[in-house]
Amino acid sequence: MWAMVIKELRQMRRDRRTLAMMIVMPLVLLVIFGYAASFDVTKVEIAFPQGQPPGLALPDPFESVDTDQSDPVEILQFGEADVAIDSSGPKPVAYVDGSELFTARAALQAFTTAAAAGAPIQTEVLFNPELDTSAVLVPGLAGLVLLFVGSLVTSLGVVRERQAGTLEQLAVMPLSPRDVFVGKIAPYFLVAAFDMVVVLTTGWLLFDVPFNGSIWLLALGALLFLFVTLGTGVLISTVSENQGQAIQLALMTLLPQVLLSGLIFPLESMAAGVRWIGYLLPLTYFNQIARGVMLRGAPFEALILPLGLLAGLGLVVFGLAVLRFRAELAPARRSSVKVAA
Amino acid sequence: MTAVLAESDGVSRSFGANLAVDRVSLSMTSGEILGLVGANGAGKTTLIRLLLGLERPDAGNVRLFDQPPTRATRSRIGYMPQTLGLYDDLTVAENLSFSAGVFGVDPPRLDDDLARVADTTIKAIPLGLRRRVAFLAALAHRPELLVLDEPTSGVGPLGRADLWETIHESADDGSGVLVTTHHMDEAEQCDRLVFITAGRLVASGTAGEIVASHATVEATPADPPAALESLERAGMSVLPAGRHLRVPGASLANVRAVLGAVPPLSEQPSTLEEAFMILARAS
Repeated sequence: MWAMVIKELRQMRRDRRTLAMMIVMPLVLLVIFGYAASFDVTKVEIAFPQGQPPGLALPDPFESVDTDQSDPVEILQFGEADVAIDSSGPKPVAYVDGSELFTARAALQAFTTAAAAGAPIQTEVLFNPELDTSAVLVPGLAGLVLLFVGSLVTSLGVVRERQAGTLEQLAVMPLSPRDVFVGKIAPYFLVAAFDMVVVLTTGWLLFDVPFNGSIWLLALGALLFLFVTLGTGVLISTVSENQGQAIQLALMTLLPQVLLSGLIFPLESMAAGVRWIGYLLPLTYFNQIARGVMLRGAPFEALILPLGLLAGLGLVVFGLAVLRFRAELAPARRSSVKVAA
Repeated sequence: MTAVLAESDGVSRSFGANLAVDRVSLSMTSGEILGLVGANGAGKTTLIRLLLGLERPDAGNVRLFDQPPTRATRSRIGYMPQTLGLYDDLTVAENLSFSAGVFGVDPPRLDDDLARVADTTIKAIPLGLRRRVAFLAALAHRPELLVLDEPTSGVGPLGRADLWETIHESADDGSGVLVTTHHMDEAEQCDRLVFITAGRLVASGTAGEIVASHATVEATPADPPAALESLERAGMSVLPAGRHLRVPGASLANVRAVLGAVPPLSEQPSTLEEAFMILARAS
């Protein structure tokens, strides 16, 4: 038995990546997720399109933001604030963005407290009036499915080709790296798109998740997001020697996206030291787009920033993936210029 | 008219501290079967990968059809790697259909053996049949250059004979065939041989030319086991052959010095295997 234990320890010592995953990663994850795991809302952005009514003091955690919009509903649709006060009537009405679950709850709590203290204000929750958790989670979960298929399954597919020796055969065939690349990821793209339709339809049928916006706008967001995730999958495959390594790396990209993208914990509630990680993750922006389109019915103009950032991430990740994949399939591209040393 | 299909000029390739291919220059022409002979790990596969453009040389120059390896040159090559390059989870017919589709030709016709397993996945058929499928896939587009890396490994004697018959037919049709092997009986079927040892080209020529330049001493001792032990203790490589002992590359005088004056000794032409042993020891 000792021989077996010693053999395992020796193998473990040589497999640095697994060793790092077993020792360093839990520590890193504990620190990062410890600071990220918070449902406490410390700031609720509030807009006054007709100006702040005199005598209306802002209790914590409200923080006033400027807006050029005059329509409170549009303010929320564009994500300019979490709460918009309509003071055009005899009694101010606070419209609360129900697509931001925890923020909305914090806002309602604060309004209830304020009302008890003698500051009557009517509240109305828009986009998710019941503050239903499923409605908020399902759009992001659709992104998680895309991420799973795009990153993990794609990376396994490419690594499997390398392990079986068929990638070498492809390199000798009259196929350009682009042909192989596109041919390889196109089926995963279709499967991921199908998965997404299934998830959203199931969410709609089982959990009554609303769909208030443009399906084409969501499709554009999904396309850009897939662009990033498929690129991530290929990138992972180019640095993985086997399927085990590909799974390890894919999980290392999946886990932070689940916990730091705002899918579960609000980004605003995270410590600033880890929040910036969330802003580097594609699921953060897909989540914003999916919730924006499905729950708030946000128009294209309201989502230009997350769409643009996803496109930028896509260009970087996909570009790197193409370069590495090309180098793997056509390593002798510059061999003709080499001469004997 | 013969044309140069592939050539390397002083090509080298290292992997870390290991020099896999060391300044190898060779060329092969159409209609020729060139055998790349060497022990496992000698550098044959790396040399093939360099010629195909799958590895970038550290030094030297590689040309395929008189140009650097490119996508255009690849369409003129049929390649069967040691790993076969087949998809385990696709059927025989699906594998051949994929390969033919990439080259823009019709899938090849299957013989009776393969027709019986046409709809069986590759992982479910014996290795010998898999090799035949890979060979068929490599041949389907009638390549000008056929590159076969250990094509008969795991194939039975009849299968090997069939495979070599097809290799000869391809060469007769004008294709060049570059084949790696460490089986000397197969090497003898090649028009020309290149011996690789520790990444270096140590001999080239026809099998006849290679064996002609090497001699082996044959001894017929009264006590072969004792003689074998004495010769090996003296640092010689010895091959038992029935009642005889063959000592490749040794001189009559050296063998006589070990075994004494009694046993009959004669100097004979080396076999290909013996020539290879001599070259491997010398390097």
